[in-house]
Order: sequence, then structure tokens, then C-alpha cells
Amino acid sequence: MNTMLEETSQTNDRFRWAALMLLATLLGLAWISYSREPVVDWRQWAGLAEGPIAGYRAPDFVLPTLEGRELTLSDFQGEPVILNFWASWCVPCRAEMPLLERTAIQYRGRVTILGVNNGESRQVVQEFNRQLNLTFPLLIDNNYLVGDQYYVTALPTTFFIDRNGLIREVFTGILNEAILQNRLESLLQP
Amino acid sequence: MAPTLSLGPLVIPTAPFVIIIGFWLMLDVTERIARQRHLNSRQTYNLVAAALLAGLIGARLTFVGLHWTAYRDNLWGIVWPLTSGYTLWAGLPLGLFAALLYARRHQLPLWPTLDALAPGLLLGFMVLSLADFLGGPGFGKTTNMIWGIELFSVRRHPVQIYELLAGGVALWLWWRLARSGQAEGGAFLGSAAAYSALRLFLDAYRDNAPLTSGGYHIIQLITFAIMLLCLYLLTNRLSLSHNNPEKTDLKT
Repeated sequence: MNTMLEETSQTNDRFRWAALMLLATLLGLAWISYSREPVVDWRQWAGLAEGPIAGYRAPDFVLPTLEGRELTLSDFQGEPVILNFWASWCVPCRAEMPLLERTAIQYRGRVTILGVNNGESRQVVQEFNRQLNLTFPLLIDNNYLVGDQYYVTALPTTFFIDRNGLIREVFTGILNEAILQNRLESLLQP
Repeated sequence: MAPTLSLGPLVIPTAPFVIIIGFWLMLDVTERIARQRHLNSRQTYNLVAAALLAGLIGARLTFVGLHWTAYRDNLWGIVWPLTSGYTLWAGLPLGLFAALLYARRHQLPLWPTLDALAPGLLLGFMVLSLADFLGGPGFGKTTNMIWGIELFSVRRHPVQIYELLAGGVALWLWWRLARSGQAEGGAFLGSAAAYSALRLFLDAYRDNAPLTSGGYHIIQLITFAIMLLCLYLLTNRLSLSHNNPEKTDLKT
């Protein structure tokens, strides 16, 4: 009698577990299919909010270059931009500059590199450039306006912006060639 | 939310800082639980440490291998900076492989060890969610709910906080299952199935989730497979414990 009861209980258990598996499978598949995202054309993202984090549109700004002309970020729409915040007193910033320069030369016409100086005078930036001979635009943000707009709290900070003006990644700390190459490959993908 | 932590002149990136603390917590919790469950706590601790180390080194070396031209003239770059430059898809299986190798070499019992590892693993996932919330790139979909968080003028689901809560639920379930002692491996499989199911559900609320070319959430597909596998194994373990209670009972 007891054995029969045990067998019935085991059959019931097995049935319950099979029903649970079936239910989990059906619910899981239904939810996966329901939450499937429409394949978005990246150009539609232009209507998204601005913010200094990945997935948001890069906030637009106008800053003077070392040569005195004004440069607007949105002028570069259609081309990936690497926006690097730096200062002359920041040793890691100085260390990564030759790499940025090499990349700017290697990717000229395909990727724009902009170096935004954080809070220093034109003279300091000029002296820095005299020492390093950089050819990519150095922008002067001596009142921290763009730095604040981009929530820059540590240097160097680099924003990888795709050709639609969307921030793909915010990188805090010193870059190396491999990291830069890896991010550039992703930015240059159609 | 708080990508950097300022301690006087020192500015620390929050996400890696939280992850390092999380790794330490994970190891500590695993060791304590292994001791509680009368397993060799030192070996269980070493198992997790080996998996973490192999995963990290493997992810780094894969990244270096994939970008060798960039490292060829700058070998110092392989070891510094360490804050970025990892290939996650290589690190995970390598970490798992190292854990399996260690477990086999030291003949650790599979199911009791997995039961002891579950809380540490869940804590690890919770820490990753917290790091992502504080300083990571993830964010939720837009919402009008009152618990939504304002992120640059847009109200969004705090999806990482949901994930933290999911980890809490799975931990609670692990505790219940471990106490009931129905079958070896039951606590691990039950909590893993529950956590996978919850992550499957919650990933729909993540706005920048990785997608397949067809628009399916990759995390959902992975967690779906893990959930079904865990449920299947759990059914087997439980039916085995019914048929042969002495071998699988944890209370002994």
C-alpha cells in the first residue's frame, strides 16, 4: 500500500516538474519574443536626449582652438570623434598624447580627434603643444564650461562618439594603443 | 550615477573599485559557507580564486592576442593599465575551465561544492550590477513610474537595482533550499534557475542591452538556456533523492 502511494506521489512530482519546465519554456519564449527590439537605424537616434554618458547624444559645444578660430562639435556629425579631456599638469594625459597624435595621422579623414584642455590658459596650452608638436585641434576650455557639461571629474577622460553623434563609451584613465584600436574598429563599423 | 569617488586629491573610478571589493567579498563568503557545510574551505576558496585569476588573465591575454600589433612595440602595455582591455567572451569559459580543472585535481565533490559556491556567485553578479549602476555604461528604458531615476533629464528604469533585488531573491531561495536539504545540488540549481529567470525578465527593461542582429536580447537567450538546464538538472536531482535518499541527503 505504502509503495503504491509512494509511486503515485513520485509520478505526481514528475508530472509537476514536467509542467513547470513546459510553463517556463513557453513563458520564456513568449517574453523573449515580446521584448525583441526593432532593428533601429542609428540615424533615428538623433532625436534622443543629450548627456555625457554612453548611449546619449554628445552635448554640443563651441570652443576656441589654439589658433583662435571657433570649433563646434556638431560640425563633425557624420564622422566619428574622439574627444579627449586633458591638462598639462596631468602626467597620464601627457603620456597618451603621442598615441593620440599617431592615431590622428593614421586615421586622418576617417576619425576626428579633439583635445579639450581642462581649465588652463592659452599660453600653457601653447607651451604644451610646442613641446609635443600635436597636429590635431587643441581646444581651450579655461572656464571648465565644457568639462562641467561633460561631467569630467578625472583626467584624462576620453569620449568615443560615433558618426551619428552618439556617445559609445566614456573612458577614464590612460589609453593604450590596443584599447584605442579596439574602440576605433567599433566606431568605424558601418 | 557616481562614476568616480573623490578621496582628497585621489580620484578613484567607482566601478573597478566596487568590483575589487566584490571579488574579495565573493571569496570570503564562499570560504565561510564551505566551512559551514563541512567542505574543505581552503580548497573551495582556492577554486574560486583560480577561476577568477584564470578568467582575468585569459580575458587579458586574448585581448592582447587580438591586438598584438598594438602591443608588439609596447610590451609594458600588457600589464598596465589594467582598467580596460579584456575580452569577456574568452575570460568566462577560461575561468570555468580553470575551476573544473582545480575541482578534478583536488577531487572536490561536485554538487556540495556547487551548493557552497552559489551565494558567492550570486554576490558577484550583484556586485557587477551595483558597479554598473554607479559607474557603468548600462541604463534602463524610459518610464513614468515613481521609482524611475532621472538620468540627464530622462526618467529611466533603475534596471541595475532590479538586478540587485533579483540577486537578493535568489540568495533567499538558496538559503531556503539549503536549509530544507532536499538534494545535493538543489540549492545551487534552484537559486541559479530563479536568478536566470529573473534576469531573463529584467533584461527587457535594459535600454542598451547587447542584441543579436535580429534584435533579440543576448542576455535573455543565455539566461533562458541556463534556466532550462538548471530546471532539468534539478528535476533529475530531486527524483534521484526520492529514489535514493541516503546518497543525496544533505542533512547527514
